[in-house]
Formats: sequence, structure tokens, C-alpha cells
Amino acid sequence: MPEIEFTDTEFMICNAARLLEDNKTIFVGWGIPQVVAILAEKLYAPNIVQVFEFGAIGPLSRTPFLRGTMGGPSNTYRSLQWCSMNLAFSYAQAGYVDYGMLGAAQIDRYGNINSTMIGDDYNRPKVRFPGSGGGNEVASYCWKTIIVMAHEKRRFVERCDFITSPGYKFDGKTREEAGLPAESGPYRVITSKGMFGFDEETKELKLLGVLKGLTVDDVLEDMGIKPLVADEIITLDPPTEIELKTLREEIDPFGLIISKGQKFKVEV
Amino acid sequence: MNSVENVIEILEKGMADIHFVHPDDFRKFVRDRKNRGLEDKLMDEKEAVKKFVKDGDYLAYDFSSLTRGPQSLIREIIRQRKKNLWILAKFTLLESVLLAGANCVDKIDVGFLGFGPYIARKVQEGTVRVYDWSNGSVTYRLVAGAMGIPFIPARDLLGTDTLKHSGAIVIKDPFSEIPVALMPALNPDVSVIHVQEADVYGNARVYGPTVATLETAMASRRVIISAERIVETIEFREHPNWTTIPYYCVDAVVHAPFGAYPGGTQGYYEMDSEHYLMLTSIKTDEEMQKYLEEYVYSVESHDEFLEKIGFSRLRGLIQKSQILEGYR
Repeated sequence: MPEIEFTDTEFMICNAARLLEDNKTIFVGWGIPQVVAILAEKLYAPNIVQVFEFGAIGPLSRTPFLRGTMGGPSNTYRSLQWCSMNLAFSYAQAGYVDYGMLGAAQIDRYGNINSTMIGDDYNRPKVRFPGSGGGNEVASYCWKTIIVMAHEKRRFVERCDFITSPGYKFDGKTREEAGLPAESGPYRVITSKGMFGFDEETKELKLLGVLKGLTVDDVLEDMGIKPLVADEIITLDPPTEIELKTLREEIDPFGLIISKGQKFKVEV
Repeated sequence: MNSVENVIEILEKGMADIHFVHPDDFRKFVRDRKNRGLEDKLMDEKEAVKKFVKDGDYLAYDFSSLTRGPQSLIREIIRQRKKNLWILAKFTLLESVLLAGANCVDKIDVGFLGFGPYIARKVQEGTVRVYDWSNGSVTYRLVAGAMGIPFIPARDLLGTDTLKHSGAIVIKDPFSEIPVALMPALNPDVSVIHVQEADVYGNARVYGPTVATLETAMASRRVIISAERIVETIEFREHPNWTTIPYYCVDAVVHAPFGAYPGGTQGYYEMDSEHYLMLTSIKTDEEMQKYLEEYVYSVESHDEFLEKIGFSRLRGLIQKSQILEGYR
């Protein structure tokens, strides 16, 4: 049987890219989400329109992807519109942005995410992160938010140390009770081992799929909370040859993003 | 309506201190202190910062240190050892890091705090006070400040700890009857903004996305513009819908080629990734002070700074900047 070798970051990126639909708008966060959007545009959703918080609507992706650029000529290239941050967020607030994609340091049972701090004293955090950036707006306004994060035990918690951006329930209040836009919210959580959704009734985190070669227990073991588990678990295909070729040769030839993480080998 | 119905119900109140200016005070300041006459405001960065940035000011800037950030003005603020600033870190990457490293800053309103372990440690140790907002909420605050209204309602921050630690207030909106967050207007004492082109009066033009260029300028009491190029006013009259900031918002115009270095400026030069990396990898105070000594304190001016970086390095960054469509 032939084998395919890949990093868990590559898997995460490919799996997230497969979720995106063509002819939709997506609010793209910093880093991995940028790579996901480019891969989706190349292989699955050629007419996807990327929206960036600094004020670029629908730039054409240039490859190789330059890591660490946010707002310069190479990632605002041939946009449909350049505008202000207020306008970019207002498009999302008014309902024009279908998907949002974000990373997170912690996530909890209701899809609330933390990108601000670790610890129990806000004034003396154990670890301080850069904070919301535009993450709060993306998670508040986009119709469907996809969270992409490494699958590590400490990242899944019952309640985030600090809820930077909203999920479905906050201190007993639902998303709509808090005043957030109706029918919006976290849609999928893509990790380096699996894929989660949220239960329609209870809005709790629910395991939907696992990477081929892993068991449900493999995935649950590496979580600080016990999520719901779907009755039928989907097997998530490892990255395909064409996905890996596109990532490794076109998008990130120096492996600045995709080479990070654990290596997997799966028989195909 | 009875009197009970006339009271708007406050549902939640963020705990942050806020920098707030009464809209009438701002208007009076604009009436009395902003010149609607065409006055030549061209000066060097030393004079501009000396005149318009004061200890204890609330300071805002636009875009980021990767792209079109006002880096030469930030370095001048550090060089003049301004103290006790409260800064707006919206979409910030390194401005906050440098200003905190130079002990210019007491408080930071956070949209995005900034990059690297140095600024994180300052917050962990408690030497810099932070108030968490988000990029969207702080730029909406600038919109309100620019419009001359006391607040703007929006639907971000709701249902989060960010709201608790911000200065937003949640009310039941009397129209839709759903909770909505009120973002207090933000009128900075001073803002520093780098642009591609300006005339000597302060009309300014930006190419590329703008983040909150106009809003920041309109909302601020004092505004310093640095420009890659000084152009004649007729350039603005030729393409009036390209004017980003009108002159009457602006107090000083500084000619600063490579003013965004080590970041890039669209149509002029790319960022210097190596210099950038050197900055983001600063961990200790010792490393920070060494950097500041080498690149800020030991040089007299932006010209001298550029001489230190050297022509061939700068030329290389111009060479890399080959995408011009839309930028001129």
C-alpha cells in the first residue's frame, strides 16, 4: 500500500480548505487562515472572495505566500476594493461575509475562544497574547466561523481563561441573548486530528470526524474536556497528492508554515 | 410613554478607564486651534514632535509597523523621551513594543497588543497597564470621535470577557430591543500618520487599504503627517476623490522618505524583513536598550538613521517594491 506523509499542520490546512464553498465571502485572519484561503482558491473555490480587516476586499492571491505580510502590496494585489477597517468590519456586521476563519489559543465547550491571556489574574497574566485583533469581530459577525487550531490537551477547556471572541454561550447567556447577530456563530473547529461541529440543540462542541488512521479515543485523549461525539464519525482523508503539491510547491515552498507540527504517515 | 419607559436600561458596563472628550470640548478645540487657513506646516520631525506631542498624551497612529506605519515619528517620540503616554494599539505590531521598551507608555488600549515576547512580558509583569478592546471596536470609537458624537453602537464585544475589560456599555437598544454595545467616542490628544503624498498644508493621500487613516486624523486634537513625498496642491485638485485627509485636520507635515522603515510603504519600498525579525526577537530589557541606543538615541534625526541603515540596503527595498498598480 502506498503511503502519504504530511505534517498535522498540512492536514489541518487541507481539511479547512475543503470546507469552503465557492462564490462566498470569507473573512481571513492572520497566518494559517491565509494559507487555507489560498489553497481553497486554487483547488476548490476559485471565486471565493477574501476579506481582510485592514481594508482589502477580494485580492488575488499571489504565491508563494509571504509570511508576515498583512496589508502590503502582495496581499492586497488586484483587490476589488480597498477600504477602511471600519468598512471591512461593517460588511461583516451587515451580513455580507459568509465565512470567518480564525486561530485560537484556547477553546471551550461552547466555542468561545481565547487569544488574550492564560492565567486567572487579568492584571498579572501567566502568558499574555496579542489579544483580539479583529478576531472578536470575525467571530461576532460572520455567518459561519471556522476555528483552526493545533489539537492539544491544554487548548480544550471547560471555560476559557479569558473569552476574547464569542461562541454560543457565555456565563449562562446564549449568543442571541447577549445581542449577537442571530443565526451566526462557530461552525466548525478544525484541529490537527479531527473536526468538530456544535450540537444543534445544546450548542455544545461535538466531534464529527477524525483523521484516517486515528481512533475517536486517540482524539478525545488529547482534550481537556469531553465533547459530545456524533453517532456516525466521518473519516477525514489525509491531504491528497495534489493538495500537498500545491501547498509545498506553490504556496509555501520554504515550509515556513506547513512544515510545523507532528509528522503523520497514512496508507492510501 | 411613562418615565420608566424613557430610561434606557444599562445591562452591562465594562470596567476600563477610558480616554473621553466631551464632543463640545472637541468642537471648541477644532474651532479655536485648527487652522482653516492655508498655512505652510512643513517642518522636521524634531520640531513637529516637540510642538505637538506632550507627556501624558493619548497617542494614536495608523496602519501597522509592517505597512505604512509612522515609524520615523515613533522613533522621534522615543528620542525625545516622551513620558506617560496612553496609546491606542489598534492593528499594532511593533509601535507598542518600542514605545514600551523606551518607557514612554503607561497604558495601552488594545486592539492588537503587538508582536513578540517583550511586550507580553511587560504586561505579565504589570509594568504596562492594558485595557482590552478589539480592532473593530477601537476603530468604531474613532469613527464616533471623528463624527463628533459621544458614542457609536455596535454588535461586537458582546458576550465576552473582552467587553468586561473594555470601557463599552451594553444597553437594551430602544429600536430593536436587543442588547447593543455602546463604544465611547475616542478623541486622541495626538496622532501620527504616515502617507505616501502630502502638500505643505497637510492635504494627504494614501494608496492602498487605509485601516482608519481619515477617522484617526479627524478625531485627533493634533495631527502630525509624515510623507514619502511632498507634492503641489494642484495634485490633489486633479484627483479630489483620492484625497485621504484634508489639510484642516493637520498640524504638521514632515518630509520622511522611508518613514515607515523597517516596514514598507506601498508603491515605494518593501519592508526590511531582517531588521523586522531582529526587532520581534527582542526578549530582554538589555537587548531592547541596546537596540534603542543603536537605532534611536545615538542618531540625531531620521536622516541620520537612514544613513546608518545605508543606501544599498534601502535601494534593495525599493527594488523589491515592484507592484505599482493602484499605488500611483
